[in-house]
Amino acid sequence: MTTDINPAIGSMLKTARDWLTHEHSLFQSLNLEPILIGKGKATFAVDLPDEFTGADGDIHGGLMTIIMDSIFGLTVFTALEEMKPIATINLRLDYIANAEARARAVCAAECITINDEVAYVSGDLKLEGNGQLLATGSGAFMVGTRGPAKGSRL
Amino acid sequence: MNASVATLIERTPVAGWLGFSASEDDEGLVYALAFDEKHIGNPLIRALHGGVIGAFLEVAAQCELAARLGPGAAIKSVNMDIDYLMSSRAQPMTARASITRMGRRLAFVEATGWQASEAKPVTKARFRMRIGAAD
Repeated sequence: MTTDINPAIGSMLKTARDWLTHEHSLFQSLNLEPILIGKGKATFAVDLPDEFTGADGDIHGGLMTIIMDSIFGLTVFTALEEMKPIATINLRLDYIANAEARARAVCAAECITINDEVAYVSGDLKLEGNGQLLATGSGAFMVGTRGPAKGSRL
Repeated sequence: MNASVATLIERTPVAGWLGFSASEDDEGLVYALAFDEKHIGNPLIRALHGGVIGAFLEVAAQCELAARLGPGAAIKSVNMDIDYLMSSRAQPMTARASITRMGRRLAFVEATGWQASEAKPVTKARFRMRIGAAD
């Protein structure tokens, strides 16, 4: 599952993922499940829980932002040759369709390139069952920001 | 506090998860994101999760529209972009929002979040939202 990723990054990602899925309440409630992790690519299944709904009863755009920022950041880590801290510079998201609460979704992201210490990522969020597109987005991340070098954005 | 904003917050479950609140000062509505451990993105650098900040600013932008549109108006985000201007701390965040333009079907809203002082914005986001009459 972690083919092509730098081994040091791969083991660190696994440790971070285990910790987050068991200890971090946000990611625990999203029930993150890795579907594919490769170099510069990550796909995760996530829950869309009731507590993240908006006034219309559907999932709030804010949860889509939380999911995509998380998976985009993780995707940057898979593309690195050595572990460095990263920080989101900016994100741009289109909310394409409403999602009902308690559905399960799949977020797929790709790190297009890292150039001049900036990582460029794009991805989408789809319903797990019928593949309905919920959101698309792109983001830029600064690689090698000041801070602990062992950091994981996710 | 503005009744439409209070109603929207009450009807928005994610506002509860965020610990979202609104108040009013001389310059208008002010929004607050309570600090909570679950809002931390990276436990090693103890910063707020960027997506949590985005969710907070999105609810703030929707409240700003609710205040203008009145109770029960339908508000739905079309898209957004957000700049993370500086790293956040494990602290509450405060925000203001402003309506750049409101048409009949669409509104453009900007929201700015800060921690230490309003003069040092941590995050700025722009939202385009579909708006409709009361449900």
